[in-house]
Amino acid sequence: MGKEHFTLALFYCQGTPQSSEHDRQSLEERYGKAIRLFPIPCSGRLEPLHLLRALEEFADAVYLITCPDGTCRYFDGNRRARKRIERTRFIIASIGLEEERVGILVRSKDDRRVLVDLVQEIMDRVEGVAPSPVLNQAVKSAHAHSRK
Amino acid sequence: MITAEQKPVDEIRKMIAPYKSILVLGCGSCVAECAAGGEKETGALASALRMGAKMEGKPALIQEKTLDRQCVRDFVIQLDEIIHQYEAVLSLGCGAGVQAVADAFPDIPLLPALNTEFLGETKDQGYWLENCLGCGDCMLHIFGGICPLARCSKQLLNGPCGGSREGVCEVNADVPCAWQLIIDRLSATDALGRLEEIYPPKDWSRKQGRGPRRIIREDQQG
Repeated sequence: MGKEHFTLALFYCQGTPQSSEHDRQSLEERYGKAIRLFPIPCSGRLEPLHLLRALEEFADAVYLITCPDGTCRYFDGNRRARKRIERTRFIIASIGLEEERVGILVRSKDDRRVLVDLVQEIMDRVEGVAPSPVLNQAVKSAHAHSRK
Repeated sequence: MITAEQKPVDEIRKMIAPYKSILVLGCGSCVAECAAGGEKETGALASALRMGAKMEGKPALIQEKTLDRQCVRDFVIQLDEIIHQYEAVLSLGCGAGVQAVADAFPDIPLLPALNTEFLGETKDQGYWLENCLGCGDCMLHIFGGICPLARCSKQLLNGPCGGSREGVCEVNADVPCAWQLIIDRLSATDALGRLEEIYPPKDWSRKQGRGPRRIIREDQQG
């Protein structure tokens, strides 16, 4: 199956280095409709509902970037986020959707990479994920784009 | 509060399979507190069911709504205008909520999405503990505020069994011995002598044996 209509929904903690609005807009220009970016004040705010809605409505895969362990400004937001990612994986597996469509990237404390680098790593990770069987490909074609 | 857990999605999908239009109905009270059937869980389940239906190539109308309380008719009547758009209702209410909605709409099949568990307390985030059996004859004043019926594995009312090991139940090592807790608490409040009091046999007729229990309060009626 071709991957020309693949969309990644990316949620990321606003504590991610170089993740300002300007950086977000630059990424959107670079990747086009292959990516939709959702900055959130804390990854701990994310619920399975948000991830599932993205998968249901437009995303072939959803990912989350959290702060490194031990550096969450709200203490344990990233720890909670990890559990909610697992819960979401469990839910999609129960309907026969591959768990690989939901992922998380937790930087280590000494990882100094900025948002654009992390996005590239995630895009590489989802390279092998097929377009979602949930989405109506005819509708998606209206938003056709090329992955870079 | 009443606690519950969501049934496996497979089981739910089998239940809803005969229907082409389903209302997924959440409840904003007890089951929201225990993260089983509130607005977020209802939305997540509805999303999962819609995705599952699409993947099977059997598109169905699956919509969601959450009532403040399914077990109170004043809230259930909010469904009057919409419920007949659906062939069935998948309820994320407790057993009482499911039956209250079923009672209000006898011509609509009601399907339970949750397994109702117990009366309990929120001990911590993501941790709920059974601590009341709803026996209808509360004796907590005698037992220092700890119910041996709900919290002793053997439901002993007349003292510890002798199987407690370092404060842990011999039946289940994850359970603190309720009688150890009772004695510790009564000792801390200098009330251990309360256990010397003779009380009559428990009146179990207040819990069971007469069909569903009812509370009728004329002063609360219209």
